[in-house]
Amino acid sequence: MRGAHILKWLLLVWLAVVIVAAFFYVHPAEGFIGESSRIVFFHVPMAWISVLAFLVSCIASVMYLKRRDPKDDIRASVSAGLGLLFAVLATTTGAVFARIMWNAYWNWDPRQTSITILLLIYAAYLALRGAIEDPERRASLSAVYAILAFVTVPFLVFIVPRIYWSLHPDTIINTRGANEFDARYTQVLMASLAGFTGLYVWLYTIGCRIEAIRQRRRQEVL
Amino acid sequence: MTDLMGIMVVTLMIWVGLFAYVYRLDRKVSRLED
Repeated sequence: MRGAHILKWLLLVWLAVVIVAAFFYVHPAEGFIGESSRIVFFHVPMAWISVLAFLVSCIASVMYLKRRDPKDDIRASVSAGLGLLFAVLATTTGAVFARIMWNAYWNWDPRQTSITILLLIYAAYLALRGAIEDPERRASLSAVYAILAFVTVPFLVFIVPRIYWSLHPDTIINTRGANEFDARYTQVLMASLAGFTGLYVWLYTIGCRIEAIRQRRRQEVL
Repeated sequence: MTDLMGIMVVTLMIWVGLFAYVYRLDRKVSRLED
């Protein structure tokens, strides 16, 4: 318990250091307008967390169908919600970058189009959950939906944007299979990825605990 | 203050505010669990 308490404060300091490093430890990258390249330290971790959260949601859904444990249903829904939140943040930071680089927030670039489809798929997941009253039926149907939804993630996030010509800069591991980032960029980006992953884990555990309390109270009322 | 410094300060303020909110929520959930 005390260890978890220390980790939370460590996360505060860790991400604060990442923010300062993102602005003053690295130099603006070549080929980018002004300071726009610094957004990578926030945009990439948010996109990474959304994929991780959707994966966790898919695994929890598989576990639910296997064990029929309501806790797995809670894990799946909380993680999908967080995935959607981080996907919206990744889209927003991406749009800010697009405005600086290409003078428009939205260009219908393959990455922007695929993230829009992904957002709609997971928004529909939450709508589906909201539309079914019976808890067992809701859990079963949404588990199946979450598994099918995750099948689209590798295509929409990793394959489609690489097949078509895109305005989007090279990813960390580019199509040549190499990391061509400057050493300082890699250090700060890895630190940011670790920090944001810690934040996701924290939010995820809180979300699961809130849902468990809600379910307990509902059962007490019944 | 330069623009870069200003954006960094705002980003830090957002992070500290978010942390404070989540930390309080965490403590509230702990109390409800007891």
